[in-house]
Amino acid sequence: MAGIAATSAAATTAAATYKRRPGLMSWLVLFPLIAWLLLFVIVPTVMLVVLSFAEQTGLGTITLTFTLENYQRAFSWTWLKVFGTSVWYALLTTIICVIVGYPVAFFIGRAPASMRNILLTLVMIPFWTSFLIRTYSWITILSKEGLINSLLVSAQIIPEPITLLYTPFASVLGLVYNYLPFMILPIYTSVERLDNAMIEAAYDLGAGPVRAFSQVILPLTAPGLTAGALLVFVPSIAMFAITNLMGGGIPPTIGDVIYKQFTSGRAQPFGAALGTLLLLIFVVCLWGTRRQRED
Amino acid sequence: MSAIALALLPFLPVPVRSFFRKVHGPRLQQWMLGGWALLVFAFLYIPILLLVIFSFNDSRLNIQWEGFTLKWYAALLENDTLIHAFKNSLFVASITTVLATVLGTVGAWMLYRYRFPFQRAIGLLIFVPMVIPEVLMGVSLLAEFVHLLKIPLGYTTLIIAHTTFCFPFVLVGVQARLHGLDPFLEEAALDLGATPLKAFWLVIVPYLMPAIIAGALMSFTLSLDEYIVSVFTTGAQSQTLPLKVYGMAKVGLNPQLNALSTLFIVGTIFLVLFSEFLTRRKSS
Amino acid sequence: MKTNPRHLLMASLAVFAIAGCDRPPKPDVAKETSGQAPMTKAAAPVSDEEKKLNIFGWSEYIPQDVIDQFTEETGIKVSVENYASNEEMLAKLLAGGGTYDLIQPSEYVIEGLAKENLLVPIDHAAIPNLKNIAPEFLNMSFDPGNKFTVPYMAGTVGIVVNTDLVKDDIKSFNDVFVEKNKKNIVVLDDAREIVTWALLTQKLPINDINDASLEKVKPILSQWIPLVKVFDSDSPKTALINGDVAIGVVWGGEGAILLNTDKKFKWVIPSEGTHLFVDSLAIPKTAKHPKNAEAFMNFVLRPDISKKISDVFPYLNPNMAARELLTPEQRANVASFPTADEIAKMQTFKDIGSQASQVDETITTLKAQ
Repeated sequence: MAGIAATSAAATTAAATYKRRPGLMSWLVLFPLIAWLLLFVIVPTVMLVVLSFAEQTGLGTITLTFTLENYQRAFSWTWLKVFGTSVWYALLTTIICVIVGYPVAFFIGRAPASMRNILLTLVMIPFWTSFLIRTYSWITILSKEGLINSLLVSAQIIPEPITLLYTPFASVLGLVYNYLPFMILPIYTSVERLDNAMIEAAYDLGAGPVRAFSQVILPLTAPGLTAGALLVFVPSIAMFAITNLMGGGIPPTIGDVIYKQFTSGRAQPFGAALGTLLLLIFVVCLWGTRRQRED
Repeated sequence: MSAIALALLPFLPVPVRSFFRKVHGPRLQQWMLGGWALLVFAFLYIPILLLVIFSFNDSRLNIQWEGFTLKWYAALLENDTLIHAFKNSLFVASITTVLATVLGTVGAWMLYRYRFPFQRAIGLLIFVPMVIPEVLMGVSLLAEFVHLLKIPLGYTTLIIAHTTFCFPFVLVGVQARLHGLDPFLEEAALDLGATPLKAFWLVIVPYLMPAIIAGALMSFTLSLDEYIVSVFTTGAQSQTLPLKVYGMAKVGLNPQLNALSTLFIVGTIFLVLFSEFLTRRKSS
Repeated sequence: MKTNPRHLLMASLAVFAIAGCDRPPKPDVAKETSGQAPMTKAAAPVSDEEKKLNIFGWSEYIPQDVIDQFTEETGIKVSVENYASNEEMLAKLLAGGGTYDLIQPSEYVIEGLAKENLLVPIDHAAIPNLKNIAPEFLNMSFDPGNKFTVPYMAGTVGIVVNTDLVKDDIKSFNDVFVEKNKKNIVVLDDAREIVTWALLTQKLPINDINDASLEKVKPILSQWIPLVKVFDSDSPKTALINGDVAIGVVWGGEGAILLNTDKKFKWVIPSEGTHLFVDSLAIPKTAKHPKNAEAFMNFVLRPDISKKISDVFPYLNPNMAARELLTPEQRANVASFPTADEIAKMQTFKDIGSQASQVDETITTLKAQ
């Protein structure tokens, strides 16, 4: 088993060493991506950072001065707490999505080839409905006079309706619901290329199911798992619509706070400062982990 | 009862599981996983089922069941604004998916295969559209479109904005799949006389196909439901469905929406099953 | 043979793209936006405008059949862009992104817009139906003489009680925010609103919010906020109808819908007082079709049209002629129509400028506890 994992590790290092130097054609091919990044990611981000040093007057006119007051304002307990809450919810969502989604991805990846794409599409189809009606469906299910409570009370399992909605439980449920496909699909892409022969070999060499999983399957599906974790954790930090609708807006999340600065808060530069800080923290963390992995 | 046992099996202690393994082999494993998958699919589809049922509910506020009716479907067919908005959503999502998939796949491959300067920086920049709160992206793109690039707001700006936050999802997904690529696969193709482009198209892309499809599905989903970025980057003609819908909560979400979603889901499931049927016909 | 997924994907995308493609992007979208900052361009009076109207309004605030009828009668094609809050509208308007002929600002925004010269004065001669508006809604403090705006819909904020679940007699904000009602309350997710209610209980001015008055109400707010279960400005009625909460401090229109849904809901104007909001129609400086906009204003002020709006949106209709066309039930809905005495005691919001930021932070801090 160690040998199998070692082979894949060897393959990865071999891949790393075989990276070619780009020729003219390669630069041309990569050009659209670079241009897109420059035009629509770097430029707006720079504009954002510039905004964070500006001032807002009147109804919303921005005067481009240079002031640090937005950043000074950002360093207070309130915003730290709000940020921490959002990260915590995102973490919880990611972990639950991994636990719930990995077996499903595994099942789809090992299903007969003709079924795989259908199953994948079936995973996605619920999310082609409008977000609002989907969420209001959940509200109907979870509310005190809703589906679950009605069933439990009429089956006499509980004497009175329980509070399910407008709680952190409901928020996390909503987040997990909406992000599960983004965990299942990436893991699936790694599971799909699992070679049956490799797994059989592991069993033949005497491994039990746990060792076969931890020594062979898990390392081979790790890239998909990491991708899924990233595609759930990262976007869910700033997601606030779900916690607003299903959690009652309590506790406030960083996404909501920033959004409010552009609406009732009348403090667009402050919102930009919070956003810049969020980006900064994220970039630093990612840079740190990349560094670690390359060592 | 047995379904519950099947579903709980992944959480049972190791000795119990290895007993099952040794006794029944990989088929039992696949059945257990299948049971779990079924539960998860139920979880995914129960709100949808409710949504579909409520599209036949004779109640404007749609909070309690008040009787069967088809009037929302009838009203929907005459609701030009809603249908036009929905078509806009589909159009924008389709073009976005194509662009994002191409950008993400080609980008991932080039970064993997070639050693470019600023590689790590690019790798980080890709995550920016994912991290950045949507209102910030919307506002900054709006400012850029209006003041810097002088592009009029409409389908173009909307598609650009959507593609920007969709392609990182494709790229990350494809990158994960590339991790397990046999480096000698491409070498073999080149040795046999293929150009890098041909090798990419005939050897790499088929290998990447599951990730490409997954990425496309994710892009389409993200674009279809995007609200905040769309608010700031759309023009009057290119209003998408979420824009029309989001204020509806004030008077109660129109059950016509339920009807629309039901029709769309039923149509898509039918399309998927039908194409599967066609492929099976072709192969037999 | 394996399903060729590429073909499936391409086919699906093609179907969707074609489905979305029946109406290609209109070429005039390119004509409409000039990309210049709104402040520098003066609206040139156009005598014969093309038959188009670009409305930027609250979602669903103008019923579709009203728009359709306008197009039928005048031949002017209307396109509607929606927003979900005044500030969203401002953000887009000030960024110079679109060219809108008509906007629907609330009262506290109008003062600011007028001061910054962002509105076009309206020609009262083109809007004779203005006479239908009740006198108390004309010549209001935020737009003396109705120089720039015509009132569209008004409303208040008040208390809704589910009398099946709550037997106490609730008459004021202080009655709502007691320990007994913990986690049984829904309020608007609007920092200024919540602070205003606290200020009203202390008889402090609601339009002159400064650090001192904020400090005075902070202890009250820190007592109130933990009692709230749901913060929701979009549809607070949901939590009430579903039985998840029994008391709400909500918009008048939401209250009206609740009263229409079930007799168990009771509407109360808080004894400490409340405020009046007025949404109006106005023409921004960058409008390309101001005459068409004025025609629409006049159209909407017709009693039969205004009644249609009231049917969908049971808010406070300032149009006297329209009120006469309403059913007795509609007129009896106390959430829609407070008495004249009650209205006389209500103030309207003024713009509080940068204080909005402090207000927002105060509430967020308390929510995050």
